[in-house]
Amino acid sequence: PGPARCRRARKPRGVDSYGFERPEDFDYVTYEEFFSRYLVILTRRAIKWSKLLKRKNSIQKNLKVKRYIRKGIPNEHRALIWMVVSGAQANMEQNPGYYHKLLEGEKNDKLLEAIRTDMNRTFPDNIQFRKTADPCLQQTLYNVLVAYGHHNKAVGYCQGMNFIAGYLILITKDEEESFWLLDALIGRILPDFYSPAMMGLKMDQEVLGELVKMKVPAVAELMDRHGVMWTLVVSRWFICLFIDILPVETVLRIWDCLFYEGSKILFRVALTLIKQHQASILEATNFPDICDKFKEITKGMFVTECHTFMQKIFTEPGSLSMATINKLRETCRAKLLAQG
Amino acid sequence: PRGSPPPLPRGPSGVPAAPSPRPLGGPRPAVLAIPEGETGSVHKRGKPAESPPFPPRGLSCPSGGVFASGVMLVGDSGVGKTCLLVRFKDGAFLAGSFISTVGIDFRNKVLNVDGVKVKLQIWDTAGQERFRSVTHAYYRDAHALLLLYDVANKASFDNIQAWLTEIHEYAQQDVVLMLLGNKADSTQDRVVKREDGEKLAKEYGVPFMETSAKSGLNVDLAFTAIAKELKHRSMKLPNEPKFKLHDYVKKEVRSTGCCKS
Repeated sequence: PGPARCRRARKPRGVDSYGFERPEDFDYVTYEEFFSRYLVILTRRAIKWSKLLKRKNSIQKNLKVKRYIRKGIPNEHRALIWMVVSGAQANMEQNPGYYHKLLEGEKNDKLLEAIRTDMNRTFPDNIQFRKTADPCLQQTLYNVLVAYGHHNKAVGYCQGMNFIAGYLILITKDEEESFWLLDALIGRILPDFYSPAMMGLKMDQEVLGELVKMKVPAVAELMDRHGVMWTLVVSRWFICLFIDILPVETVLRIWDCLFYEGSKILFRVALTLIKQHQASILEATNFPDICDKFKEITKGMFVTECHTFMQKIFTEPGSLSMATINKLRETCRAKLLAQG
Repeated sequence: PRGSPPPLPRGPSGVPAAPSPRPLGGPRPAVLAIPEGETGSVHKRGKPAESPPFPPRGLSCPSGGVFASGVMLVGDSGVGKTCLLVRFKDGAFLAGSFISTVGIDFRNKVLNVDGVKVKLQIWDTAGQERFRSVTHAYYRDAHALLLLYDVANKASFDNIQAWLTEIHEYAQQDVVLMLLGNKADSTQDRVVKREDGEKLAKEYGVPFMETSAKSGLNVDLAFTAIAKELKHRSMKLPNEPKFKLHDYVKKEVRSTGCCKS
């Protein structure tokens, strides 16, 4: 993203560097203020990253790389780094021709139909996904989803995957890489989130509830008192990995960490949003107002300032050990299975 | 086959266990008194005997005099739930500007019903079957349900019965329910006749109308009728004539064609 796109304040509808139309009421002045500050950080990070990449032929997972990733991957290196740290690159290299074979193989008509229904309903606000765009990313998206549905038959197609694949295509600009990254997310990083039973999703929603109980007990108590189930307010956060919930730039910064550190990052983001806005959430006195609050807390400068936001997610929720999460997952899973 | 209710949870002995209580919280206090057996409440059969009757819940903001009600849109994927909602909320229909709904989402709209402000929190749901566990979480809290099919999609109409089964299973017994045949502007693509929708609705004792998010046909009416019903249920004035949802809908509904009976 360059400064050029910030100078569109007078146009009725600007487009960001990913092709998304700005909403009509987009606050250009505030955004420009933020972006001019962020640009300094982006430049500094870009220099650091190009030094790192110049020194090494291959990127390996280590503390330095992890630290670098938490501070943001420059957009020009994003596809490569995501591919490497998620294991997608290795899988792609070990299975040459596999992706294309999937596309040439026999197809499940029901799956194709489900995917087709969502083609015009994936990012209609992005100029690259319009039918009239050249090149039109709809065909790329269709291919990636069809291939994935036939590769991972247990999952097939689940709504939400269209948005995730769409982002991957926008960043990698490569069909096959998008496929392997989608596989990293759905097959490994978020196991059983998208399969028909959605056990992974249900489990992690419950785990979030338990974590809120530990870390922001007043909010947990409020939810409990008014009988608001977590799935009502956070299922979209978890299924869409914050696409269409948080600003694009912020989502990408979250994904940088998601590919390296795994699904735990989703808890960090959710807990940060909740803890930061605790006072506001607690003002709600009834069911619909609580739901309104959970929408409000995903808007505003707190989430637009992606660099500060990403620093917060590693401090605000406090320690979040994998041991704790795994233990909670186990108990939540047992609880869900007992409920049937 | 979609829509068939999931099997009852099994107890350790293999017999169906009593449905688990609300996973979170207890029953909310009844703020709106909703009389039983009211028009528009469509349940033919009761809830399982072991299911504790949830008190009817409504929410009000006493200071502002605003009634808040929960409405839920359900129906197959692609029947136009989101379009209908956006049409109602913003009065707009932009072809190809809608995104598929993932899980569950909502929008608010405040209506003025006979001088009383009614805040509708309208929950839009994903039609895809695997999201049922997510959408089930709201059924109990919905005061009204709009069940949609697409007049140009036979399968979506055929699935209505399965949806009704699911509604009986999960929604409040006295939930206000209305059946909507959406995309009524489709002329060439239409495969479900209005009479078919009417017949099915009659069978289940549900108010029915055809709507079009594209042309705006009956969109406001559908939501207004529901808001009126909810308002009348919640604050019955002694001398006020009883509001009859069925009659109101019959009187106000507009037809697409030229040959309205």
